[in-house]
Amino acid sequence: MADSVNFENLVASYYGPLYQFAFSLTRDEADSCDLVQQTFCIWAAKGHQLRDNTKVKTWLFTTLHREFLSARRKEVRFPHIDLEYAAAELPVVSPVTVNQLDAAQVLAALAQLDEVFQAPVALFYLQDCSYNEIADILEVPLGTVKSRLTRGIARLHQLLTGEKNKMPKPKNL
Amino acid sequence: MNRDEAKNILLLLRHDTADAKDPQIAEALALAKRDPELAVWLEAHCARQLAVGEKFRQIAVPAGLKEQIISEQAASERRISRRQTLRFALAVVILLFGALAVFWFPHRAPDDTLAIYQNQMVSIALRGYGMDLVTNDPAQIRTFLAQKQAPSDYVLPAALQKAGVVGCAVEGWQNAKVSMICFRTGKILAPGEPSDLWLFVVDRTLVNGLSAGNLPQFSKVNRLVTATWTQGDKLYLLGTEGGEQAIRKFL
Repeated sequence: MADSVNFENLVASYYGPLYQFAFSLTRDEADSCDLVQQTFCIWAAKGHQLRDNTKVKTWLFTTLHREFLSARRKEVRFPHIDLEYAAAELPVVSPVTVNQLDAAQVLAALAQLDEVFQAPVALFYLQDCSYNEIADILEVPLGTVKSRLTRGIARLHQLLTGEKNKMPKPKNL
Repeated sequence: MNRDEAKNILLLLRHDTADAKDPQIAEALALAKRDPELAVWLEAHCARQLAVGEKFRQIAVPAGLKEQIISEQAASERRISRRQTLRFALAVVILLFGALAVFWFPHRAPDDTLAIYQNQMVSIALRGYGMDLVTNDPAQIRTFLAQKQAPSDYVLPAALQKAGVVGCAVEGWQNAKVSMICFRTGKILAPGEPSDLWLFVVDRTLVNGLSAGNLPQFSKVNRLVTATWTQGDKLYLLGTEGGEQAIRKFL
């Protein structure tokens, strides 16, 4: 597989989205560069083990996420969270309000989310991945991804408006 | 599906993506078309999502990151290639040394063949030896050899039994004992020469390269003509100066 995928083309295709995802998680340029570099380094060493060409993108994002978690050296539990009615508690955030913010503020708000919400929400907004791909990348069931997204997006919007968190703590956390 | 449920599901809707194909989202979208209030909420939500997403996509990728990744990988491959080259070179050197060692050090030749035995025994006879027992009594010789744990139950050819025995000695071969029985052919010997016909008896299993059969094999070894034969578990080597006829008359 590694042989059939040109390394330079692969880097050209994915280094940008991977960096944006890494930066969403780390909010640090050097750390993000290291994560992306490490991801491609692992690809160079182990990419040949991947048999399905269509899984390259998912493989890269998964690897980056694993490296991020490994770097954090923190155990994270991934409980399944049932869908709840989050939208009802969602404050009305106008596009104008959002447009007044910059990327750093949005990422700062993302950083305040519980850790289990950060990666799916970042992948969601980067729009490079479908729900199934996000589930594959994070190695959790699709239902869990959707529940985390629902709650993560709702919580992010709350933070962006500066309103007090009205969201109940997710179960099992 | 009620309005709140639909809102909850539509939270996951991203503009211009395949999200709308999700059955739940498609159902919620259908409801939004029928519910004006939900439609208004959805329009605002989509705009909001688009704006937030735009912030994420505004994350600037550092200039030169792509080139850095590619150059680092190329350097890494060069390092790996150098390591592989070094390993290959090392393997070649080891093989070379191994091959040299094989050719440099002489092979350990077998040292227990009949030819070597013959040479060694003839050398003993020719270089001058001291008899351990000097006697003309064949029985004493057998007794002495038996005491020395050298072969003593040898069988002498009839002609050799008639030759005059003068004594014996115990020699060594492959950490075992060889009985050396000294005879006289009847010729006049030079002063100091106690005998001129020698019989060496050894365990036949200690000598490799024996030909099958009991018939004597004649060969010239140094100045001696030798007859070699086996009988029972013994190997016999009889040697004397002269030609083959000189030794045949004792067999």
